[in-house]
Amino acid sequence: MTSPASSSEVKYLIESSEGNTFDVSGAALRQSNTFNAMFLNIGADGPIPFTDYNEATLKKVFEYCEHSVNEENYSGPKHQDDLSKWDLNFFNEMDQKMFIDVINASNFLDIERLTSYCCERIARMLRGKNTQEMIKVITLPTAEELEAKQKVEEKKAAAAKKVAEKAAETAEKTETLEELPVQQLVQTTRNKLTRKYLSFSNE
Amino acid sequence: MSSPFPILRLPRLVQCEIFKLLNIEEKIKLSFCSKKIFTQIHNYRLYSQKVIVDLDCFKQEIEIQSENNQDLFKVGIHPDSRISHSSTIQQISIASCTVRAEYLQIGMKTFWNNCLEGFLSIIHHLLKIFQCKMSTSLICYRSDLFQPTISMLFDLQLEFKGLYIRLEGSRDKNLWWNKISNNLGLVEYLSISSSLDRAFIPVFISWPQKIRILDSDWFTLETLLSCTCSKIMLEESLLENKDFDVVLRKWKTGGFPNLKLLWLDSPNITDNGEQILGMNLNELDRKVIQNADGSKTATIDLGKHWIEMSVTSSE
Repeated sequence: MTSPASSSEVKYLIESSEGNTFDVSGAALRQSNTFNAMFLNIGADGPIPFTDYNEATLKKVFEYCEHSVNEENYSGPKHQDDLSKWDLNFFNEMDQKMFIDVINASNFLDIERLTSYCCERIARMLRGKNTQEMIKVITLPTAEELEAKQKVEEKKAAAAKKVAEKAAETAEKTETLEELPVQQLVQTTRNKLTRKYLSFSNE
Repeated sequence: MSSPFPILRLPRLVQCEIFKLLNIEEKIKLSFCSKKIFTQIHNYRLYSQKVIVDLDCFKQEIEIQSENNQDLFKVGIHPDSRISHSSTIQQISIASCTVRAEYLQIGMKTFWNNCLEGFLSIIHHLLKIFQCKMSTSLICYRSDLFQPTISMLFDLQLEFKGLYIRLEGSRDKNLWWNKISNNLGLVEYLSISSSLDRAFIPVFISWPQKIRILDSDWFTLETLLSCTCSKIMLEESLLENKDFDVVLRKWKTGGFPNLKLLWLDSPNITDNGEQILGMNLNELDRKVIQNADGSKTATIDLGKHWIEMSVTSSE
């Protein structure tokens, strides 16, 4: 059992969706209003189960909380331009999937400062854009659109493969006539084919 | 993070926080992105900033501004015929219509087949994404859009920060006035500019908070005595010294409980010997009078053919 006064010195065990556990300081954990409402006064006997979120996400969220332990009390949203270098690095090193996981976890844990910075970061994606540009930023392709896109890509790849095969045949015929040593001829054709196929696939 | 960001898949609270961070322009532009986004913004309308929607029916322009006037966006409504073949024209969706639009530095132009439909559609759209108070510009009443627009807004029971009307020349004057008069409780400041023929004398069924009437020769003492406004400005009135005497006596005995300012401009306010509260007109200048229970004082100021009474609470 942990008392609120001593919670900053105490470490809590957090359990992730994988069943893994790791330590978080009481001071960091207290930034979560969800934790405060659920465990701060009654304490926790075993690991605190935040099993809707994976270990990587929870560690990222609590990394933020540990870092902001010594910052002054949160007093509402801060403009992105006012973020520290550490904050910016923290956000910049996340890919989109991790960023979304962090927002979801931060929202569940009700960590106001982190949620607010995440929201500001998303709002910033929309700033200075017109409607068409905003659509590009926020609209995910539908399942039909994804399927159609995949079909087009498959067709392109098949066409590229056909062209490559035809080119290989032609090259084989031409280079045979030039009386190259057989070994060299095969290698040259292979190299050409690989280059061509790769260039088609990358288009 | 270059791939599209799934804003609508975020938790609702997070979406709400993001919308709260957007300024007027950003929120309007975002609301045109898709029906789903629009619906979500609408769902969080009560957490949105409060805006004043100023309708300029004459210029066919709607100005949306924050209450502190620091944030502003204008939407112009233009006929399709005036569309330019600019590459910046884009299609947006407003109230189930697909409309062509062009963004400008602090606003946008929208192009419509029918400008009245466009005007009303834009207003409907704004009402769904912001907490709006309406306002009309001074020369608005000259436009054909004015009456149908104001009627619709009254039907929706929307509040007006300012409403400027002119009764002469309006269609179905009686019906129109009835519509207005029934809804003046929704209006903060009403300005009426009218010289009326004697056959039509408007009757107030409800009152705005503040009223200013230019050419108020039709505004009688009886009407003034029933007025519940906190600020009353009557220009070109025909009221006389004796009428002002009645007003002051009523106020002294607890009448006009909301009154903060009465400004009366009339050629009949003269030093002609007609007394007000037992005093000649010029004796009244700078006079401070108190009501019967001592809870309020009124200061009287005089000018050439005008008289002003400003009220303060004694506590």
